[in-house]
Amino acid sequence: MPRPTEKLVSLTIDGNEVQAPAGMMLADAALKYGDVEIPVFCYDAKIGPPVGACRMCLVEVEGIPKLQAGCSVAVTDGMVVHTDTPTVKAAQEAVLEFILINHPLDCPVCDKGGECPLQDNAFGWGGGLSRFIEPKRHFEKPLALSPLIAIDRERCILCYRCVRYSQEVAEDDQLVLEERGADTFVTTFDGHPYVAPFSGNIVELCPVGALTSRPYRFRARPWDIEQAGSVCTLCPAQCNVSFSVRDERVLRVLGRDHEGVDDGWLCDKGRFAYQAIHVDQRITEPLMRDGGELRPVTWELAIETAAKLLSHAGAKTGALVGGETTNEEGLLLTHLVREALGSNDIDSRPGGALELELLRALNAPTLQASVPDLQYAHAVLLLDCEPVDDAPILDLRLRKGVRHHGVKLLIASSRPSALDERAAHSARFAPGCGEAFAAALGAALAGKPSASLAQAAGADADDVAALAAQLREAGEEVVILWGERLTAGPRRNEGARALLNLADELGLDGRDGGGLLEIPSGTNSRGLRELGVLPNASIGLGDAPTVGRDSQQIGEALAAGDLSALILLHSDPLLDQPSSELWQRALGKASTVIAHAAFLTPAVLEHANIVFPAESYAEKEGTVVHPDSRVQRLRRSIARQGETRAEWALLAELAALLGNDPKALTCSMVSARIFDQVPFYNGLSLDLLGGVGIRWSERQAAASFPGAPSAPFTLDPPPAASSPNGLLRLGSFRSIWASPEVEASPALAFLHPRQRVEISPADAERLGISNGEIVTVASNGDSVNGLAQIRANAPVGTVFLQSSIPQQSAALLGGPMVEVKRA
Amino acid sequence: MAWDPEKDVIEVVRGPQKAGGAGGLYRAFGETLRGLKTTFGQLRMGVDTIQYPEQKIPVYPRFRGRHQLHRFEDSGLEKCVGCSLCAAACPADCIRVVAAENTPEHRVSAGERYAAVYEINLSRCIFCGYCEIACPFDAITMGHEYELSDANRSDLIFTKEMLLAEPIERTPLRAEGE
Ligand code: SF4
Ligand code: SF4
Ligand code: SF4
Ligand code: SF4
Ligand code: FES
Repeated sequence: MPRPTEKLVSLTIDGNEVQAPAGMMLADAALKYGDVEIPVFCYDAKIGPPVGACRMCLVEVEGIPKLQAGCSVAVTDGMVVHTDTPTVKAAQEAVLEFILINHPLDCPVCDKGGECPLQDNAFGWGGGLSRFIEPKRHFEKPLALSPLIAIDRERCILCYRCVRYSQEVAEDDQLVLEERGADTFVTTFDGHPYVAPFSGNIVELCPVGALTSRPYRFRARPWDIEQAGSVCTLCPAQCNVSFSVRDERVLRVLGRDHEGVDDGWLCDKGRFAYQAIHVDQRITEPLMRDGGELRPVTWELAIETAAKLLSHAGAKTGALVGGETTNEEGLLLTHLVREALGSNDIDSRPGGALELELLRALNAPTLQASVPDLQYAHAVLLLDCEPVDDAPILDLRLRKGVRHHGVKLLIASSRPSALDERAAHSARFAPGCGEAFAAALGAALAGKPSASLAQAAGADADDVAALAAQLREAGEEVVILWGERLTAGPRRNEGARALLNLADELGLDGRDGGGLLEIPSGTNSRGLRELGVLPNASIGLGDAPTVGRDSQQIGEALAAGDLSALILLHSDPLLDQPSSELWQRALGKASTVIAHAAFLTPAVLEHANIVFPAESYAEKEGTVVHPDSRVQRLRRSIARQGETRAEWALLAELAALLGNDPKALTCSMVSARIFDQVPFYNGLSLDLLGGVGIRWSERQAAASFPGAPSAPFTLDPPPAASSPNGLLRLGSFRSIWASPEVEASPALAFLHPRQRVEISPADAERLGISNGEIVTVASNGDSVNGLAQIRANAPVGTVFLQSSIPQQSAALLGGPMVEVKRA
Repeated sequence: MAWDPEKDVIEVVRGPQKAGGAGGLYRAFGETLRGLKTTFGQLRMGVDTIQYPEQKIPVYPRFRGRHQLHRFEDSGLEKCVGCSLCAAACPADCIRVVAAENTPEHRVSAGERYAAVYEINLSRCIFCGYCEIACPFDAITMGHEYELSDANRSDLIFTKEMLLAEPIERTPLRAEGE
């Protein structure tokens, strides 16, 4: 459904004439346009429509004899509202007295104290006296609602916010209210712990101290902390966050509501993985390999040795850049590799380079959809991605679109999606056959025969036809949310062409409210690409003077001895790259491996000669680019821990030692250089970005984006998907919890994934596998073990394993066919 | 307005310029004797010097000296629950509280939380007593001790243990009506 058009109505609030958009709730309109606060407890616009559970918001509306709930009455033309008459005052005092009847006097020991809406409302609108002398209700407290959240039922005021969140926003349906009347209490079904990817949001929603974060419990009071706004860089969704800092330590992460990015929510990784900043395992001093072991050394020695080793390797150096790298670090690293070392072998995309022309076409500003488009489009097609794992917060946005704005959700993926049950139609294809599926869908939309393409994709031809029909009927505004894996692997260029054809078929170029939205593999993949941290592009996606090796070829060249040194900037090829086997060989052969890392991940631990401590995201400054082209600013929120130094400065110093000083004195100087050198960023500045960022594709300068060939492309027929004859197809995925930060955070350690083998019920039955038992997955002599997980909507003939985990990763298996048996 | 030097001239009133005669005698001895009368008049009032530090002035009950943290007499648990309200009230920002959670094995205070760190920087404290007023549990009170000089600033940061301990020497308290 397209965005609602705003129609203004005028009404009178406390004698003042105000204008507000029709349909807005009175409580919101009064605060936003009338500068009058109507106290609320249960209402929060971001949870969805009001339920009027607490009656705190009573106001007088002329012409209606009874008081009205300001949170549930929409503004209308000519409405006359009073919020401070004696009747309203009496009602507010009575409601507060009633709410406080069962509320304990816990403020001094309650974690919410000082930032508690109940305290504020009682102070601002309460009568100050209670006539209730009978005993209050009692519950055991505090109880663990989950390993992350503590619940104190005595403090609960039964506002339903948490329950509504669980049922209507996250749609995990775990929280419920039990009993009736004064006995009502919040719980989960059957008392199971509330474990969900977005559970932490209820802590921020609860208007009292009934739900508190266990990692933050009792750490600080609001007056002990400072809020520092920045951006979460743990995944491509780049949610806007605010760090609560006390004594240079991050104590918690809160959302910094941004309608264009996160809609006010955070995932549990973003909310709790800050703990990894302050753990002992984190590398906070330079390390050097000495006698086979990494030992701490001084910065001077580490930098000098690194410069010596690099100048020795010279042009025989390759560099892999991870997604958490900022634009500034990316620019300085390309300077180091290209200018100072004379090498072109630098890549920030795992799994091989994409043709530059196609990159330009895919990133063209006219083709980009924004995050809010997901919520208002006529239809959203998920293509080869799983939002909850790849960019979690988009999962909530899609659910909101479907629930409140009638978005038609269509899913085409190989792995079953958490959104399947909300989708108008879901189709499955064989792992790695996204290209064939996109081609089939494109053909079906164009009215051409698609059955053979569907077959090549290992998909059902009826599914393809159904999706095409739905897309055609839906309306003009269509967003295709696609995963980078569609353009990875050996047929990546064909994948990109098929996708561009599909977009062309739907007429998405230049369409308002529709377009393509990529979920890249790394947080700042888009920014790094636009800065030319690629083997085949220069800054601003310009032509590279000399084309270098891509990540795959860097691995091969290292293994063959054509390259001798490797720089790993926030990247661990054993976790990020598709094939472990190749990279084991490559790293074993490399004579120099210089890593910038925060944790001793496998490649760093086993192969690095020098390890520089990486800054955490709370210590970094710089800019990153959101997948929807929003340039966002990271701000330093705490002092760097231990001996850690600014990485941009380190990269600049290394280049200077190698005889090519980039002349970067401050990080903002590098940012300014970027805004100057990337033509389509021209005119941006850190001040302009401010706290909310700017989508460059919406600015005038976007016109200078390099031109690209336009669709339709002729596609060569995709190879047929391997047919499962006894063996199973291997698919891999990266779980939301697969990250070193999650592993290092004590509070999240219980979520860090062990290998699980997702298999369809039919295959499980055929192989005699039951849920939760240990199974072995083998191919060409390699094997990994994992717990079997039977998923009802998994496609028959395919098994899914996790990649990017330190042990038993799917990357150890060659595939494409594997044998699964009970261990 | 321009400064007018004439206006600031101080007029000095002098005695008769010519010395000698009875007036001169009076000026030489009379005024001196008048002064001495006051001096000797004080003699019968006795000595009022207090021999500090051997001797101390007793303080009033509401005298605001160095703080004290308290325990429950029966259970021995600390009254302070680490709520940080005193820190919020303190105008000099000299109280630092870091709270932690009580466990059944390690119970420090009666509530859910306790003060793992409780420090007052007495070199910054202005002895206003706001902390005492803010405390919901009467856990902190202003004591009577006022001898707080030290050779080292950092020794004036009093820790929880120091604030919980009884002062080594009690400051004498002024009796009722004294
Ligand atoms: S636990 Fe908090 S959010 Fe949930 S109903 Fe109670 S007061 Fe509301
Ligand atoms: S969804 Fe991604 S960016 Fe947002 S909080 Fe979670 S990890 Fe961070
Ligand atoms: S007496 Fe006043 S200045 Fe001293 S610690 Fe207490 S509140 Fe702070
Ligand atoms: S002394 Fe009183 S006000 Fe201060 S933290 Fe302890 S209980 Fe709270
Ligand atoms: S805020 Fe309106 S009824 Fe709760």
